[in-house]
Amino acid sequence: MKDFSEKIIFEKANDWIENNQKVALATVIQTWGSSPLEVGSRMIINENGNFLGSVSGGCVESKVIEECISLIKNNKISQIIDFKVSNENAWEVGLACGGDISIYIEQITQ
Amino acid sequence: MKIKTLQEILKYKSSKKEFAILTNLKNGDSEIFIPNKILKGEFSKYLDEIEIIYKSNKNGILENDKIFIQTCKNPIKVIIVGAVHIAEYLIDYAKSLNFEIIIIDPRGFFTSKEKFPDTKIINKWPNEAFNEIETNSKTALIALTHDPKIDDPALQYALKNKFFYIGALGSKKTHEKRCLRLIEAGFKNEEIKLINGPIGIKLGGKSQSEIALSIVAQLVSEKYKN
Repeated sequence: MKDFSEKIIFEKANDWIENNQKVALATVIQTWGSSPLEVGSRMIINENGNFLGSVSGGCVESKVIEECISLIKNNKISQIIDFKVSNENAWEVGLACGGDISIYIEQITQ
Repeated sequence: MKIKTLQEILKYKSSKKEFAILTNLKNGDSEIFIPNKILKGEFSKYLDEIEIIYKSNKNGILENDKIFIQTCKNPIKVIIVGAVHIAEYLIDYAKSLNFEIIIIDPRGFFTSKEKFPDTKIINKWPNEAFNEIETNSKTALIALTHDPKIDDPALQYALKNKFFYIGALGSKKTHEKRCLRLIEAGFKNEEIKLINGPIGIKLGGKSQSEIALSIVAQLVSEKYKN
């Protein structure tokens, strides 16, 4: 169960869309080990890189924003991004807490 | 997600309706689930599993690795009796903790809109006020007036309706007297023990904001019991 500030996040997404901005939604869909935020945590990102909400304790947000912007640019529907301590990203944006996390990103479309 | 789904989410959230957001992780489809709703396409195949997760208030991916469900249930209702200074701090904390606050206080001069701009205030005696509030075992009561005329009826109501958290401000002595009054009113010792009095966990703080913090901390810890 997750509700904190979620309404604000969806309202902001709606505002951006009404202002003709393209918006992507990122959701934590799975976690393993000690990860900072629970499954269901959400973040929205617009085409300019503005964002609201979070999907980790700040460890992977920059990478998620980057991926969301390219999702919007390439006009893709959705994608799953896995962050694992063992993968290459770990040096750049790995989870300092040692957990793994799976994030689903999707475009909000007509 | 389609804009239409996003707007449906906002509509349900504004009207305080409980629902779940279903996402097909393989093809990007999403749909809103509410109990007894007929689901479309692939979602309909997994209705049983979706219902189980929804009922357990959880979020997660179904066994098929394909469908993600996020349940959106209403926040816990916290009824504060007494529009006193501590209540102002409680409201501040509650905002970020996803509690819905309702204040009851029959004393008009306490309940100014300026002090509590976005909070529902019922300017009536507890017994009347409770007629206007839907409560259940997910409701909490925080009694802050330490005036028996106001606190006691609210505490009695909360005990009878099995609120998951009941707390009452006041010293040990005040609480002992309160317990005696409740026994006289016909409540059993086991029931009265459910009242957290003196309210709050031990932080050592004495200021109003610190007392509010200790109350909120106790409320959160009770939320995660069971």
